[in-house]
Amino acid sequence: MSADKHINILDFTIQSLLRRKFKNAGIILVFSFVIFIAGSILFLSYSFKREAVLILKDAPELIVQRTLAGRHELIPEKYAEIIARFPGVSDVSPRYWGYYYDSLVKANYTVISADRSLQTSNRLFRGQMPGEGDFGNAAIGRGIARARFIDIGDDVSLIAADGKVMDFRIAGIFESESELLTSDLIVMSRQDLSRLFGFPGGVATDLSVSVSNETEAPVIARKIRDRFPDTRPILRSEILRTYDAVFGWRSGLILTLFAGAMIAFIILAWDKATGLSAEEKKEIGILKAIGWETSDILEIKFWEGLVISLTSFLTGIILAYLHVYFLGASLFAPALKGWSVIYPEFRLAPFINMYQIATLMSLTVIPYIASTIIPSWKASITDPDEVVRG
Amino acid sequence: MKETGIIKTEALTKYYNRGKANEVLALRDVTMDIRRGDFTVLKGPSGSGKTTLLSLIGCMTRPTSGTLFVEGRDISHLPERFLTDIRRKTFGFIFQQFHLIHGMNVLQNVMMPLYPTDIRISDLRSRAEAILEGLGMSKRRDFPVQGLSGGEQQRTAIARALINDPDIILADEPTAHLDTALSDEFMAIMRDFRQKGKTVIIASHDPLVYEKEYIDLLVEMRDGQIRNLCCNSPDR
Amino acid sequence: MRRSSFFFLYVFFCLLVIGAIVFWSEREGSRFIAKSPDLQEITAVLRLTDISFSHDARYTRHPSQADLFSAFQDYPGSIDHFPSGSVTAPPDFSLLSTRITVRKR
Ligand SMILES: Nc1ncnc2c1ncn2[C@@H]1O[C@H](COP(=O)(O)OP(=O)(O)OP(=O)(O)O)[C@@H](O)[C@H]1O
Ligand SMILES: [Mg+2]
Repeated sequence: MSADKHINILDFTIQSLLRRKFKNAGIILVFSFVIFIAGSILFLSYSFKREAVLILKDAPELIVQRTLAGRHELIPEKYAEIIARFPGVSDVSPRYWGYYYDSLVKANYTVISADRSLQTSNRLFRGQMPGEGDFGNAAIGRGIARARFIDIGDDVSLIAADGKVMDFRIAGIFESESELLTSDLIVMSRQDLSRLFGFPGGVATDLSVSVSNETEAPVIARKIRDRFPDTRPILRSEILRTYDAVFGWRSGLILTLFAGAMIAFIILAWDKATGLSAEEKKEIGILKAIGWETSDILEIKFWEGLVISLTSFLTGIILAYLHVYFLGASLFAPALKGWSVIYPEFRLAPFINMYQIATLMSLTVIPYIASTIIPSWKASITDPDEVVRG
Repeated sequence: MKETGIIKTEALTKYYNRGKANEVLALRDVTMDIRRGDFTVLKGPSGSGKTTLLSLIGCMTRPTSGTLFVEGRDISHLPERFLTDIRRKTFGFIFQQFHLIHGMNVLQNVMMPLYPTDIRISDLRSRAEAILEGLGMSKRRDFPVQGLSGGEQQRTAIARALINDPDIILADEPTAHLDTALSDEFMAIMRDFRQKGKTVIIASHDPLVYEKEYIDLLVEMRDGQIRNLCCNSPDR
Repeated sequence: MRRSSFFFLYVFFCLLVIGAIVFWSEREGSRFIAKSPDLQEITAVLRLTDISFSHDARYTRHPSQADLFSAFQDYPGSIDHFPSGSVTAPPDFSLLSTRITVRKR
């Protein structure tokens, strides 16, 4: 067995493709672009989901919000004591946090209080985390540091709810590698936070509930709702599912934006699939007349489909990868993130789902090859004598 | 031992669109015998079935009834794979319209019949170059075929027919697009082949072709039938 | 060189690049996983619920905690924030198996 025959046919096929350089280059271009878009979306959404799942692995199992007139409302701290006595609940801690709109840079910060400190070995935080009663100190995320041009040791003034200016010394800063989590955070003591926001006494933003057995979380959530009908428990699994939904939605949105390219490509493929030109039919007849077998003709078509689709697929998928992981998905970022003052600057970790890529490949390369082979089937089995008479 | 013809037909009949309203009887009861090395011309008015007979002989289509022997082998019922194989190994075709593949150059057109074989491409190339050389076409080797003159196109077509070193050369109205000088040149090339022992079969209604004195067998056709067989060779 | 060789060369080149990509991805991925305990500690200590992804409006900052209807929150003239605001789906509550019973009086 020798492969010479097949290589020869491939040679002939490429020669034949080169005759219609612009048309075939156009097909490869559009095809690559479609793969590029679809590949970018797959890379992007998969990486985000994986990162979100990893980052939020130790998020609170259950958050209990209070609602008033359908809106989020501060929750009385005494709810916590009652919930803590529910069987299966191992800990209930009130969370104190809120949004601060900085009119200076027109950005929203997330102000949050910490009651514990990070381990000193944590490489993603530098300096001091302001704890209970630690007045006048704050730790900030990189996004804020960039927006306000401040760093550790600098001062930042915020305007409190009563209109008075509060000054904070930056005691700690989150390293940029944690930006996807911390970019817009200002951490301060609970007392400072209460003053900044003008919290009345005895209330928290919401409650974070730990359960001893995570599978029981939904049951406990239901119990909390039964006991406090004005609350809204949010499960961690739902948080993660929210991210799934968010990125699913936004991927869909991007896909919609590029639907034009997809449709153009489908029309192109359809055009090829629905019929050979008279010229192509004639060429097939000539080849048969001079001694090519039906299977040889089909092999040309196979190679033709493979050359175009494989070239496009490989090109598109490589470009998609570079786009997402080296250029920060700059083409899609506006549609994914939305407008913002403090963009988190982060580089996605390149998590790749081979299964998705293989699916993308089999959904594009194989149908394309089929759509080049099938229409020439009929032409390749007819007798070549039609051609002889010209 | 009786020498059998290289091509032998027995009551060869060909219908087009059999059983339909537009049924045509293109060939009726054609029986003839062409011997190895014969220079044969099929002559007849338009529609007389010359092309049909030629494509039957060349295994491009199958007879409706009757038998056809090529090199002693009954091929009327062979599956299409074998027909292709015979086409590739035994026949060289020169078509009326040349039927070159546009966009490719002369050399590629000549090499074309043997691409789907295990021949080394470098061998194939040198073989094609040698044939083009023999036809005086070397300087046109890398020209795209659509830019060639009629005579050059035909010589390209001839070279393509020769690439597989066929025993039988079939030509359908080869002089239809050529002036007298080129037609004579073509006939000279064909005569050369006969000298080399190849069997040549030409379908034509051009006197420049069928009036040549070196023709061994002149087959006159009309309405799908042989009207007259006329042999020049003394031993027939 | 034969034309088919160009094709094989290109495919080979692409496969090399993909090989490099896979290698690089493995390395960067495991680097991320290596630093993720630090990230997870931040999440746990601050009890964070959301990644810091869209802060164009406060209701887009914590999509999992947002009020269900909260467009135009920042100031009356603010347009809804596209795309983060418009396509953020609220959490799915089906897991809570909350039953709504309508009692007849
Ligand atoms: N594919 C076909 N379908 C139907 N009829 C056909 C077909 N091919 C040939 N015929 C008919 O068969 C008859 C013989 O045709 P053929 O082409 O063999 O004649 P010819 O002698 O080669 O004529 P010409 O000198 O014009 O080339 C004609 O009546 C023609 O119309
Ligand atoms: Mg004819």
